[in-house]
Amino acid sequence: MAMIDDLRQLERDAVAAIRAARTPDELERVRVRYLGRREGLVSGMLRRLGTLDPAERPAAGAAANRAKKALAGALAERLGELTAAAGASGPGLDLTLPSRRKWRGTVHPVNQVIDDIWAIFRSLGFVRARGPEVDTEWYNFVALNTPLDHPAADEQDTLYLSPGLLLRSHTSPVQIRTMELHEPPIRIIAPGMVYRRDTYDATHTPAFAQIEGLVVDEGVTFVDFKATLAEFARRFWGPGTRVRFRPSFFPFTEPSAEVDVKRVIVREDGREEETDWIEIMGAGMVDPAVLENVGYDSERYTGWAFGMGPARVALLRHGVRDLRLFYENDMRFLGQFT
Amino acid sequence: MKVSLSWLRDVAPGMGLTPDEAMARLALRGAPVEEAEDLAAGLRDVVIGRVLETRPHPNADRLTLCRVAGPEGEVAVVCGAPDVREGSFYPFAPVGAVLPGGFRIGKRKIRGEVSQGMLCSESELGLGEDHAGIMLLDGAYEVGAPFAEATGLRDWRFDVEVTPNRGDLLSHVGIARELHPEGQAAIALPDFPGGRDGASALEAGLVRGASESRSAGVRIAIEDPDLCPRYLGAVIRGVSVGPSPRWLASRLRAAGARPINNVVDATNYVMLELGQPLHAFDLDRLTDATIVVGRARPGEVLETLDGEARPVIPEMLMIRDARRPVAIAGVMGGRDSEVAGGTADVLLECALFEPKQVRATRRALGMSTDASYRFERGVDPSAMETAVRRAAALILATAGGRLDGEIIDACPVPWEPPRVALRPSRVAHLLGVDFTADEISGLLRPLGYEVAGRADDALEFVVPGHRCHDTLREVDLIEEVARTHGYDAFPQVLSPFRPGTAPDHPLFQLEDRLRALLAADGISEAQTPALGPAGDGDVELLNPMSAEESRLRRDRLPGLLRHVERNMARGVRDVRLFELGTAFAPVPDGAPAESARVAAVLTGRRAPLQWCGSEGAFDVYDIARVLELVGAEAYPGGRVEVWGGGDGVPRAAGALFVPERVYVLRAAEGGVVGWGGEVVAAAVDVPPWAGAVVGGEVVLPDLPVPRPAVTATELPEHPASQRDVAFLLPAGTRAGDVLRSASAGGGRLLEAVETFDLYVGDDLPPGARSLAVRLRFRARGRTLTDKEVDRACRRVLRKVKEETGVEPRR
Repeated sequence: MAMIDDLRQLERDAVAAIRAARTPDELERVRVRYLGRREGLVSGMLRRLGTLDPAERPAAGAAANRAKKALAGALAERLGELTAAAGASGPGLDLTLPSRRKWRGTVHPVNQVIDDIWAIFRSLGFVRARGPEVDTEWYNFVALNTPLDHPAADEQDTLYLSPGLLLRSHTSPVQIRTMELHEPPIRIIAPGMVYRRDTYDATHTPAFAQIEGLVVDEGVTFVDFKATLAEFARRFWGPGTRVRFRPSFFPFTEPSAEVDVKRVIVREDGREEETDWIEIMGAGMVDPAVLENVGYDSERYTGWAFGMGPARVALLRHGVRDLRLFYENDMRFLGQFT
Repeated sequence: MKVSLSWLRDVAPGMGLTPDEAMARLALRGAPVEEAEDLAAGLRDVVIGRVLETRPHPNADRLTLCRVAGPEGEVAVVCGAPDVREGSFYPFAPVGAVLPGGFRIGKRKIRGEVSQGMLCSESELGLGEDHAGIMLLDGAYEVGAPFAEATGLRDWRFDVEVTPNRGDLLSHVGIARELHPEGQAAIALPDFPGGRDGASALEAGLVRGASESRSAGVRIAIEDPDLCPRYLGAVIRGVSVGPSPRWLASRLRAAGARPINNVVDATNYVMLELGQPLHAFDLDRLTDATIVVGRARPGEVLETLDGEARPVIPEMLMIRDARRPVAIAGVMGGRDSEVAGGTADVLLECALFEPKQVRATRRALGMSTDASYRFERGVDPSAMETAVRRAAALILATAGGRLDGEIIDACPVPWEPPRVALRPSRVAHLLGVDFTADEISGLLRPLGYEVAGRADDALEFVVPGHRCHDTLREVDLIEEVARTHGYDAFPQVLSPFRPGTAPDHPLFQLEDRLRALLAADGISEAQTPALGPAGDGDVELLNPMSAEESRLRRDRLPGLLRHVERNMARGVRDVRLFELGTAFAPVPDGAPAESARVAAVLTGRRAPLQWCGSEGAFDVYDIARVLELVGAEAYPGGRVEVWGGGDGVPRAAGALFVPERVYVLRAAEGGVVGWGGEVVAAAVDVPPWAGAVVGGEVVLPDLPVPRPAVTATELPEHPASQRDVAFLLPAGTRAGDVLRSASAGGGRLLEAVETFDLYVGDDLPPGARSLAVRLRFRARGRTLTDKEVDRACRRVLRKVKEETGVEPRR
């Protein structure tokens, strides 16, 4: 089967020559040399088939045809490469054409904020917890030291499914559920959707995201509370950010605070400028009644908690004036947040 | 709570804060100012003018010509008021002045006489409703001086945000206590102008009984001491009801209240000053001059001050005379016994009602009043006597009359100030800063807390009346320590921490991966509401905002379809959205079952319009890919299959798709966990130019298990051999069946079956397709010979022929 071995050798040589061709013209010369009808080496080989022993003829014929096919494939492939490459550097290519594009998907801007917040708290030793969106009055109010007959329960207009069963009006029920399931230390954040009986306007939607945070352990103090949240704020809004804690009231924290930040922004002319104080979260030391409601020893354990609205943060971050834009899901809007 | 800054200054002399300083301080005391209004802002151009001389207008009966001394000397002014007094002082708007409301004063000719300015009425200055006459100023003023400053009208109105625990801040005294550096000690209630007439009320005796007391022929009785621990009354006879003096009316207005008459205004004034709601009855309308406080009786109806006939229910607390109800306790008085023009004798009510009871009552009635708002949040039981005396004194000063008898005091449950113990060690434990006992008492004293006793490790504080509703526990006092010390004064030092015992929830981790995966696939994340119309859910809300938002969604894909429609309505044709959200299924007698979902929808071009082609439009094969992507993350070992109808896909979800263009995602255990397909026209309302809309949804596992680690395969050392085959699929043959048979028929040597072309043409039998497949063969450890490959290839063809009847194309 000397001829089959010859064919193999010829095929290897031809493939090497095809690969080595640098222009379509060169490639054409290689083609003629091997596959040209008259002079081509492979064609010549085929013509010699008739000289073979009839027993060898079918196998050699098949091998020759296969070699011919393989070379044709290699030629086409190389031609494609050269043509494409011509698009990149040679004549006939125009690099000023736009790049070859694909669609870019985006993560929702509010979830981008949540991701960034999570990244910071993760590095501060937090994990994420979750709970149901439909919950009971016990988890949403009572266990959080908010008796239903107290005016504090009016602050949020709640959507009910049936008496006692509601759509959670804040993510704070996750505090209770987490503490019921786990012993201290607790160090969680809980992003999730919450619901209020609000109609859509520039600053309200009936459903929106919230992020809860909770720390409970021995020796957790107001000093840690301030320090951790200030650390978060500086990492989120930049090192020059000032943080202010103002007394406030939430039934489930005492002392309670509103946390404000004053950011440093760089103006177009390069000068730095401080923004106004912006309210970013409600927070405070966990009320001992809350700890006792989940069976923790409030003399031994202390803690702090916060709740913030990432949609509001997203508004500020992106200079969006109307919250509704975040929920219209217009491709032209979402596509901006790449 | 709306407060007047000058009123705050009056009740806490020496406060000396600018409006900005006052606002900053209130913010740091937990009562931020939401809105501040400069009440004199519109009066900047108005000055004091003096009318030197008047004479009738030669051409008009009702007009007067005045010579007015103003800032730039004497000018002529035409005035429409009938009774301009020579020598008197009036607010004067010279030429060029702009009045509240934007009216600009110009030099004008009125009936042939030049007028260079305007003498103003109260209504023109935004100071009252009286526009009949110009505003005569009592006393003497410097001509040309700014009017607002000269008359004490320079004032600011703050709208203070008061948290529900701070009922004590619903008064000027309460806010002044927070503002003044000396706190409680600085509070000194001012005398009323003309207040000498009221001295008798301030000095009158007090006749106290338990559940009943009487004086001046009036009897007050309390039937339900649990709901009304104390009721004070004062009888004032011979009042003349009329408008309040200007100072009182303007003060009420500055605090956002509307003046009504001198008696009612006096009760409102004291409520705004001290936080104690008061009510004045027309004594003649009270049968037998009797007040009985007790629970309502079945069938009772009361027409309240606002003219509404309010049916009352037995749980409510009523004020009754000898015969019938006359007020809903703590909420609103009755119309029939209100003080009006003809009233001569007044019974002034100053009572304490139980907060929860008032709250329940006003909620049942669906209303809220200034009184109920304060009772709900707790009024100061220690200020009641002061309140009733000051209100009586103010009525005497402004409406005349005399105090009859003594103050009636029915007090079945005398108030005792609560005592709360505080351990300095606990303060340090919670706040992280050591305070000595003296420092703590020094911080709490300005708020009115007095030390009643000291033990080794604790201080006992007497809680003042204005804080007795909120300060009940040690931690409440600790909050006061932190607040008074100032939150900003605490250091910020990060401490070492112990990791928590709860794990990071694995569903969040799965969602993170899905989000990244789908965004990388070119799909954008949407957020749609979980609330939808009746057709979209089976879990109903009790108090929905609208029919469109009355159910919790059973699936998320329909919500995304609405947003495809919204995009198309705005001319956006290429829509690729996904969403992670919750779906809700009803559970009898329980909370609905929630499941986390990921849904996606695709329509339009597969790539942006561009010079090298945009790769056609999305079709059903694209949603199959999305299901595979999600399935690989959420359900390792799962697979996407063509749905043949039948069980698995919920009926409502299945109805979204064109029949026979539906896939399911099956978990490894076999259950259907997702579905997708081409959305049927009836389920998405898109314009005729829109292409196919494909969508799908996957139910995520509640607690995703970590994907098993991949066991890597070593790379082959020997080359593969491949054979290309074109299968001719007659009409009705499914490519998947052919491919499955091909894979099964190749044995261990068959490494991969890849499709590379699907051809339909006239040269094929009708309905037939040619599916081009590349078979890749490889053996471990050696190079396959042609013979072996040919043999394996024949086995593949044989298997395909056996199982599907399909043969290679010739």
